[in-house]
Amino acid sequence: MHLLRSRRPLGEKHKHVWVSLGLIAAALLFWRLATVHAQSPDQLTVYSSQTTYSAALLDVKGVPYVGLVDVMEPLGSIDARPDGKKYKLRFTPPGGHAVEAQFTEGKEKAKVLGEELKLPANFVLQNARGYVPLSAVPAILTKLLAKPVQLHAAARRLFIGDIAERFSVELDKGTPPKLTVSFPAPVNPTIATEPGRVRFTFRREPVVSGGQDTYKFDDPVITGATFSEHDGLAELDVAATSPLLANFADGGKTIIMAAAPPPPPPTPAAPVSPPAAQPSAPAAAAQPKPPAAPRFLVILDPAHGGTDSGAAITPSLAEKDVVLTLARRVQRELANRGIAAAMLRNSDAAITLDQRAVTTNAARPALYIALHAANTGRGVHVFTAMLPATDLSRTGFLPWDTAQAAFLDLSGVAAGSVAAELENRKLPNIALVAPLRPMNNIAAPAIAVEIAPPDEKVEDIAGAQYQEQVAQSIAAGIAAVRGKLPEVRP
Amino acid sequence: MTRRILIVFAVLGMVAAALGYYALRLKARAAREAQAAAEQQVAVTPPGNGPAEPVTLYVASDSDGTLHKMQVSAVLPAERSERDRAVLRTLMAQYTKPESGHPVGAGSDIRQVYLMEDDAAVVDTNSSFAEAHPSGVLAEELTVASVVLTLNANDNKIQRVKILVNGQERDTLAGHADLRRFYLASNIGQVVGGLALPDRDVVARRATGNTQ
Repeated sequence: MHLLRSRRPLGEKHKHVWVSLGLIAAALLFWRLATVHAQSPDQLTVYSSQTTYSAALLDVKGVPYVGLVDVMEPLGSIDARPDGKKYKLRFTPPGGHAVEAQFTEGKEKAKVLGEELKLPANFVLQNARGYVPLSAVPAILTKLLAKPVQLHAAARRLFIGDIAERFSVELDKGTPPKLTVSFPAPVNPTIATEPGRVRFTFRREPVVSGGQDTYKFDDPVITGATFSEHDGLAELDVAATSPLLANFADGGKTIIMAAAPPPPPPTPAAPVSPPAAQPSAPAAAAQPKPPAAPRFLVILDPAHGGTDSGAAITPSLAEKDVVLTLARRVQRELANRGIAAAMLRNSDAAITLDQRAVTTNAARPALYIALHAANTGRGVHVFTAMLPATDLSRTGFLPWDTAQAAFLDLSGVAAGSVAAELENRKLPNIALVAPLRPMNNIAAPAIAVEIAPPDEKVEDIAGAQYQEQVAQSIAAGIAAVRGKLPEVRP
Repeated sequence: MTRRILIVFAVLGMVAAALGYYALRLKARAAREAQAAAEQQVAVTPPGNGPAEPVTLYVASDSDGTLHKMQVSAVLPAERSERDRAVLRTLMAQYTKPESGHPVGAGSDIRQVYLMEDDAAVVDTNSSFAEAHPSGVLAEELTVASVVLTLNANDNKIQRVKILVNGQERDTLAGHADLRRFYLASNIGQVVGGLALPDRDVVARRATGNTQ
C-alpha cells in the first residue's frame, strides 16, 4: 500500500503542497477579515447624572471589551497606568475619596477596593490602556462608584446610578384619538416619519421600557407602539393608519400625538378684480415668539481622533487620548463655574477640520477652544490665530479662510486671561499666535491650548494633578472674562 | 491517512517559516534603504566656491519656544534662488545637528526655492522634512517661522513664503501648522514680538498674561 502511494504521478505527489498553499491563503484571508471585523466601530453609550457619553468597544476574540479610562474618566478624576503586567487604577469621584483597583494582563483575577473580583474573561492591556470584558463593568463600577450600575449589554447601554427614565403610554380614544407618552424628565428625540409610523430616537436620554415593549391599541388610527433599544440608543415606533402630528408639552416631558388634520379642500380660483380702493383689515398676525434667553456656550475641541492619532507623546500615549482627557476635565471645571461647555468629540471619533469649524459656527458659541498636546517644550502654550486683524463687520459675510480675523480682539482677551491664570498657578506658559486650522475658520472668539510635559518625564503630561491644574486655569481664565465675551441668542 | 496529514503539516510549517524569513529579509532591506536615503539627503552647507559671507539664521528652541538670531558664515552661490536655497540648507544643517534645540527629522532638506513676483518664494522641501518632523503646534510653528524669517533676513525682497513638500501642496506640516497658505514675513513678526528690535538675540514674546 505504501509502495503504491510512493509511485503516484508527480502532480499527485505535489497535491499536498497545493492543498497546503490553499490552506495558508485561506488562513491569511480569514485573518485579514477577522482584523477588519475587530476594527469595526462599536460604541457603548454611558448615561450618568453628569453627562451622556460614548466609549469605544474592542472586540477580543468575539468578546466585547471596554477601556476602563474611557468609561470612568467623565465621572471623576482617574489616574491609570500600566506597571509591567499590572494595571493600577486610582479613581476620585467629585468631592469624594480616592478608590483603587488593580488588574493583571492575561488574568481573570482583579482587586477592586482591596477585594478580589473574578472577571468573566482575561484582562487585556493594549497600547498602555486597560480593557475589561463589557459584562464585568457593572460589578467593577458598582464597587468603585458605590452606585447601582445597570448594563443593557445587547443594546450597548450602561446606566450609572438610578437614572433610567421609564415612560408611560396612554391612548385617549376621543375625536381625534390622542396618544400621550410621558417621561419623568424632558426629552429631545429625533423624529422620523415613514409611511404608517412615526419613530422617536433617543440618543442622549436614558429612556428605558416602561414595563412592556409592545402596545396594541383598539383604535382605527393609532394602532400600536413598540419600544426597542439597540446600538447605544432607544427607539419608540408609533404605528398609525394616517399621518400623525407630534407636539411636546409639560416642558418637554410629554409627547402628544394626534392624527394630522386633512388638507384643506381646493378653493375655486377667485376672479381677478382691481385692487380695492379701501385698505383691507390687516390679517391676524402670528404672535412673535419671545426671544430666547442669551446663553454662554463654550465649544471644546479635543484635536485629532480616530485614525488621526496626532503626536506620539510616548510610543504608547497618543495626543488624541491626552487631549480627550483634558477636554473632559475642562468641561467639568467649567460646569463647576456655571459655564456650559459642549465637546466636538467625546470618544475616539474622527472629525475633519472643516466639520469641526462648521459644527462650531452653527452652535454660535461665546468661545471655541482647541486642545492639543505635544512632547516638545515645557508647560502650556496658548494660541490665537495668526491672521492680520480686520475690521470686517461681524454681521456681514466672512471669508471661510479668514473668518477668525474679525474676532481676534476678543480671542486675545480670552488667551490673555487663560495665560494669566496659568501664571497664577505657576505653570510655565507661552502665549503666541499660530497658523492652526480650523481656528482660522471659526466665526467666534477662539483660542488653542497645547499642553507639553510639565517636567523631564514626558508621560507626566497625562498625570491627573497636572491636567487638573491646567483645566482649572483654562476654566478660571474663561470665567474671569465671561462678561467681555458675547453671549449669543440661540 | 496519518502520513498525509503529517506531510501537510510539515509543508505548512516549512512554508510559514519561509514566509517569516522572507518578511524579516524584506524588513531589514527596507530599513537599510531608508537609512541610505536619509544619509544621501542630509542637508549640508553648500560646497565652497568663493569667499564666505555672513548668513543670518533664525534658529528655534523648543525648550522656551523662542527664535534665536544667529550669524554664521557660508559660501553662497550668485544666482538668487540658489542662494536662498543654500541659506535654508544652512538652517536645516543647524537643525539636524545632534545637539539641536529644535530637532527636525533626519534627512530634512530643501529641494528648491522658486521665486515669484519678486516678493514671494515657494520653498520645496523633501518628504523627510514633513514626514519626520516632530508633531506639535509650537514645534511646527517655530519651524515655519524660522524658515520665513531666515529667508526674509537674507533676501529682504521676499515678503511672502509658501512651503511645499516634495513638490506638492500639503494641508499641514505634521498635523498642525497650516501649509496651504502663503506666510507674510510681517505676519510672522507677531510670533516674534521683538522682530522690530533686530539687535536682540532672543526674539520671542514670552507670555505674562498681559495680552488683554
